[in-house]
Amino acid sequence: MTSQAVRIGSLTLKNPILTASGCFGYGLEYDDFYDVATLGGICTKGLSLHPRLGNAPERICETAAGMLNAIGLANVGVEAFCTEKLPTLRSRNVTVVANIFASSVEDFVAITERLDREEGVAAIELNVSCPNVKEGGIEFGKDPRMSARVTEAVRKTTKLPLWVKMSPEAGDIAAVAVACESAGADALTAINTIRGLSIDVTRQRARLANSTGGLSGPSLRPIALRIVWELASKVSIPIVGIGGVFTANDAIEFLLAGATAVQVGTANFSDPRAARTIADGVRRYCEQRGVSAMELVGRARS
Amino acid sequence: MTQTKQARELITAPLLRRESIGEQYHVLTFDAPQGFNAHAGQFTMLRGAEWGDAPLLPRPMSFLTAGTTPSVLIKVLGEGTARMARAAPGEPFTLLGPLGNTWRTPSAGRRPLLVAGGVGIAPLLFFARELVAAGVRPVAIYGGRTARDLPLEDDLAEVADVHVTTEDGSRGRRGRVTDALPELASDETEIYACGPDRMMAAVAEQCVERHLRCDVSLETPMACGYGVCLGCPVPLVDGSYLYACMQGPCVDASRVAWGAGAHAPVRKELRGTP
Repeated sequence: MTSQAVRIGSLTLKNPILTASGCFGYGLEYDDFYDVATLGGICTKGLSLHPRLGNAPERICETAAGMLNAIGLANVGVEAFCTEKLPTLRSRNVTVVANIFASSVEDFVAITERLDREEGVAAIELNVSCPNVKEGGIEFGKDPRMSARVTEAVRKTTKLPLWVKMSPEAGDIAAVAVACESAGADALTAINTIRGLSIDVTRQRARLANSTGGLSGPSLRPIALRIVWELASKVSIPIVGIGGVFTANDAIEFLLAGATAVQVGTANFSDPRAARTIADGVRRYCEQRGVSAMELVGRARS
Repeated sequence: MTQTKQARELITAPLLRRESIGEQYHVLTFDAPQGFNAHAGQFTMLRGAEWGDAPLLPRPMSFLTAGTTPSVLIKVLGEGTARMARAAPGEPFTLLGPLGNTWRTPSAGRRPLLVAGGVGIAPLLFFARELVAAGVRPVAIYGGRTARDLPLEDDLAEVADVHVTTEDGSRGRRGRVTDALPELASDETEIYACGPDRMMAAVAEQCVERHLRCDVSLETPMACGYGVCLGCPVPLVDGSYLYACMQGPCVDASRVAWGAGAHAPVRKELRGTP
């Protein structure tokens, strides 16, 4: 039996490969390349209550086997997503994970309420790596108590599966993970980017207008894999692994470490067909060994 | 600017030949039997198929020619272009395209004037060839720091009446393209410019003052090339951004806030110029 289907709580995905938020638009930009409905799912660009223009340029730069970004969460807003993007995704049977972010618990709830009225959202993923303006601007995701509070509030608002995306910058990421699990999260996505910096020695200033940016790409992968490995022994809910996955073997590493599904992010920029190619590679790996995708989960741990 | 509805294709194509022009500039031509139906102004995201993890991202490059032997002109600036400058025939590359919009069609009764700076010649040489094929031989100003910074000057001269400027006077008129612009532009002129930001900002300023239509082809960092990474915003005078990959790279220069964001130092230097 080499089924590629994986279960994340109550949600069954066709296969373990999803695309990561911020690295796949709204899933409608890939028509020229392949049918995105064949993926396990897509995570939307982070959605806020109101549209956001994003940061001034420069927003991105390449680093050693990676890139930094400080896009500033530019997005169309949840309303435009629901009316302009989601109907098409729904008609194409794309498994949509709506990634949302806010700077207050109330706004997280308001975005969730809006999404909850729509058909075609398979799950909600909370980006908690943003400052809580009501608590001194500390990122929700760095603090177990604040992470739990936003998780709990969203949990009460919707019956949709709820994933919380872990910030690797939390002092005690395991404590945040456990707090989110207790507060009702159905899965944890690990990990978000790690802040980095690159300086242009000719101009003698930071390359990004925001100075620092989130590091993604292969250079992030060993760190992400280690965090997935550690979290898998701390929580009993599924983990969705993410961090520098560029090949099928990279994705398989995450499954073997304990992730039940894997998100592909920056690789989409290097190759718009990356997620499809990786999903095919994982299937071949399973076929060659006569195992299902679920049977790979956590196998390197025992 | 004309948006096209062509399907984007991602192809792997071997390098057919690499022609060096001095040390810094190279024309890379690829063998792509399926062909790219690209037009002047559009670009490709180009990456060595065997680069592995580094350089990680493809590089945006204007098409110099399209069809079954698409080509680009590169200037060695960083690791990605340095790799391209060492590529040997047969080395596989991935090309994603055509991306972005095309140059705007010249208005009836107007004369196109092309203003190129260095490697910015690529989309303009392509455009000049399209104009000549349509029966219009354009006038062009081509500027560089020195005579060595004028790649493909002879090719441009075949399809345009070229006026050359160099900052050191080693070829053509001593000075910048903006020194030659006033006498070559009339009220019937429409400008098409591509070059360093500083050059385009200076050309745009002259054109705004004289109420001349001026389109520029913008160059910004970008990771994807098709509206997903949102890494290529260009600040506009109305306070919004446009994304160079999807709403550009060809843009009406009067819309661009040359003093904002990444362009701020450009504006400062402009003010300091007598």
